[in-house]
Amino acid sequence: MSRIDEDAARWVARLNGDASAEDRVAFDAWYAADPRHQGAYLRAEAAWTMLDRAEVMAHGDPERAQQALDRTVRTARSAMTRRYAMGAGMAASVAVAVAIGFALKDRLSIATRLGELRSVPLQDRSVAAVNTDSRIDVDMTSRLRHVALVKGEAWFEVAKNPEVPFVVSAGDIRVRAVGTAFSVRRRAGGADVLVTEGTVETWTVHDTERRVTLTAGHEAFMPETPQTVAVTFRPDDVERRLAWRTREIVLNSETLREAVAEFNRYNARQIIIADPAIGSETLVGGFHVDQPDTFARAVHGALNVPVSIGDDRIIIGTAAATS
Amino acid sequence: MAGIVHNSEARRALLNFVGTQILPHEADLRQWLLRLGVKAHELDDIVQDVYCRLLRLERFEHIEDPRAYLFRSARNVLLEQVRRNRVVSIVTVQNLDELGIADMGASPEAAAGSRAELTRVLGLIEALPERCRRVFELRKVHGLSQAETARAMSISENIVEKETAKGLSLILRQMADNGAAVVKALKPKLSQQPGDDKRGGERLYVAD
Repeated sequence: MSRIDEDAARWVARLNGDASAEDRVAFDAWYAADPRHQGAYLRAEAAWTMLDRAEVMAHGDPERAQQALDRTVRTARSAMTRRYAMGAGMAASVAVAVAIGFALKDRLSIATRLGELRSVPLQDRSVAAVNTDSRIDVDMTSRLRHVALVKGEAWFEVAKNPEVPFVVSAGDIRVRAVGTAFSVRRRAGGADVLVTEGTVETWTVHDTERRVTLTAGHEAFMPETPQTVAVTFRPDDVERRLAWRTREIVLNSETLREAVAEFNRYNARQIIIADPAIGSETLVGGFHVDQPDTFARAVHGALNVPVSIGDDRIIIGTAAATS
Repeated sequence: MAGIVHNSEARRALLNFVGTQILPHEADLRQWLLRLGVKAHELDDIVQDVYCRLLRLERFEHIEDPRAYLFRSARNVLLEQVRRNRVVSIVTVQNLDELGIADMGASPEAAAGSRAELTRVLGLIEALPERCRRVFELRKVHGLSQAETARAMSISENIVEKETAKGLSLILRQMADNGAAVVKALKPKLSQQPGDDKRGGERLYVAD
């Protein structure tokens, strides 16, 4: 029970006891300060008034009234032990089914379909998590551990081995690691690199001299053409953007347009924004990648826009499509 | 808003309505909100907001089903909070239409007569700690004033007031948790489904 509820109970006791003029002034100030105070006070006063029914009813029931009096001499029981532990365990974990394949050969390709996520142990005991609609080609030799990100996005937890560099190529971008965890996502004109543990070194093949070093919590978009790279340090954001590893999309002030693009990466059931005017609304929240309908309903509630949820597609923001 | 008008007919009628028609459903409302994914720490705020809305009612004779009215009102509070960027779990919004309605039906004990109500009210008082209970029995069952209660118990009025505030707080908490202890014993307890726990996961707010 909140502080406000306790204050409300105190005010009810005071005003129904022996309240001075100053008390009344103080009460009025408290009461006017916050609508929640007004709600809490109504609730407390209603309970207080409701208890009067004990008198009203007991007077028509002398036996009960006597019982009530008799009980005053008996031992008191604590009301508190009866309490439920409300809300306990609300934050239980979410079980995530992840397809696991084994990739113990020197060379292999791992491709995922739309909406698929694969977490694959590699021969060197590293792990690759391959996101939706993506492909990696793995080539392990005694001199070099090489992974080509052919398309899409993948996260790597690299087994420590200082003798054998682990290099991911994404088009013209290279990312090199020794015992670390990071992700690479191909984009038009470059790749996003996010580091969750340790250190990686990244560069474009067009300028192998200029290398950018990223440590845990840092992220950068690496452009293919040599230019200054903006590195940001946002550990929480790095983890958030890797929520796909547990099949989640976590939004933190992304626009509706960006959020929809994310969902559409995972689902054949595409979301369409019918009203361009709402595309820039920003959203915060967490969802399962494969529940675009849940997202659409949330948008409906949050932005108060019509949403039409069909089996093959979902339309956000057209009055005509309201179902 | 000006200070409330005490002892006015309208206020008394409202208190009666809230005390007998709304408060008894508060525990179920809280359970429902929790199942919708509302976080425990958000509950009190939402409940206070719901009660605050009742203040705006000019009349309530037309409310045929106060329980359904209470749940609908809570639903509106949630929707408004989401729109105002307040922290409310979205499962809330997502499930409001689907999950909500079934819970709004009349509770089994609603039909119980005044004898059951007396049992319930006395049960609330009975569950208080010793001195608190004595204060409430004198004031509420026997209708004594604060000063008379103080004399009857040979304690100061100040202590009677403190016990009153404490007891009222405890009773409100009881009502928030179980309705009334006596009723709880008669009612099949809602078992927490393991699946319920997951619902906290999906949220969405308008960040603007």
